[in-house]
Amino acid sequence: MADKTVTSTRKLTIAKSMAEAISQEMGRDESVLVMGEDIAKLGGVFGNTGGLLDAYGPERVRDTPISETGFIGAAVGMAAAGMRPIVELMFVDFFGVCMDAIYNLAAKQSYFSGGRVACPMVLMTSVGGGYGDAGQHSQCLYATFAHLPGMKVVIPSNAYDAKGLMLAAIRDPNPVIFMYHKALQGMGWLGTVPGSIVPVPQEDYEVPIGAARVVREGSDVSLVGLGATLHHCLDAAASADNDGISAEVIDLRTIAPLDRATVIASARKTGRLIAVDDDYMTCGVAGEVIASVCESGTKLKAPPIRIAHPDIPIPFSPAMEHFVLPNQDKVKAAIKSVMEAAR
Amino acid sequence: MSEIIVPTDLWDDDSLGVISTWLFEDGDAVSQGDIVAEVMNEKISFDIAAPASGTLAIDVPTESEVSQGDAIGRILSA
Repeated sequence: MADKTVTSTRKLTIAKSMAEAISQEMGRDESVLVMGEDIAKLGGVFGNTGGLLDAYGPERVRDTPISETGFIGAAVGMAAAGMRPIVELMFVDFFGVCMDAIYNLAAKQSYFSGGRVACPMVLMTSVGGGYGDAGQHSQCLYATFAHLPGMKVVIPSNAYDAKGLMLAAIRDPNPVIFMYHKALQGMGWLGTVPGSIVPVPQEDYEVPIGAARVVREGSDVSLVGLGATLHHCLDAAASADNDGISAEVIDLRTIAPLDRATVIASARKTGRLIAVDDDYMTCGVAGEVIASVCESGTKLKAPPIRIAHPDIPIPFSPAMEHFVLPNQDKVKAAIKSVMEAAR
Repeated sequence: MSEIIVPTDLWDDDSLGVISTWLFEDGDAVSQGDIVAEVMNEKISFDIAAPASGTLAIDVPTESEVSQGDAIGRILSA
């Protein structure tokens, strides 16, 4: 075996860190199993279940037929019976055929049984566009899931958080929707965001669900992002720094329950707020972030701004798609706007 | 010194792959067998392992196209 004393700087993609977390937990807890389309033999179309079939065999790592209604419904029953299923909805866009199992069964199992039957399942699902896959394979739908009580919803922006959130999600007695953004998976054909590929410890650790993180401290403006938009915020913050503007950046990490306290504390400090979200704008996460700050009575020096996808289906044409998606330049323009409004 | 070679049996034809990511920094200490890079061909990702223990030298950067058999980096004696 190789000498393992010098791996402290080992980096992983989000895809690999998800697979490592699942594998470690399957080794620790034999009630954990994985089901989904192309998750076993292929290792997941987004690379997040690689190596599991070889390690744990076809009883616990199951390729399913193309019936989300069937295998996600089965997972709810397995969870009621004491197993800890992880199921993959390959694209969140496909939730329509299996949503009854998710929001009417999984999300309500504990409530309807007076807390006697838990639902410890993880539904992992890819989100996001930017690579020309059009309106049925590019959506985020954060708000659609976060709106429904009884489920937790998380989305990592980097491989460290992905491993820790996955371990926390599998151990959580509630259903957890684990969203992962295609642009951050570290799969070359989907684009690669270097900031998502970070050192990941070999050992077991959890990132707490429900806790946002201040990833960059600043004093002039608060930028709130999640998943891919966190990286737009970081890029814009670095650029703003050159103009003498100190931007604080918050990674939500969990969409439900939303860590309102961290966002409010930041907005109270900086007095300016920009929320960046690649889901549809109306009734969305960015709007919820802003509403939380406004309800807290925090006095802002400029009207808050939300940047989100407009309320239209995501276009196929790359020129049109990139015109409507959030990006670093839109965040920079918003920073300029809130700084000028304050004068 | 050992060269890090893209193995010649990863995919069936002579099409190009691309280095999707390096998982260590240039100059990092690595151990034999560590996955140091990922190379992608036709949407399939392949792991590239360090052939020896030592100091990693990256010669071909991320996003570059590579052929099977190409040397993409070296492991220098520690």
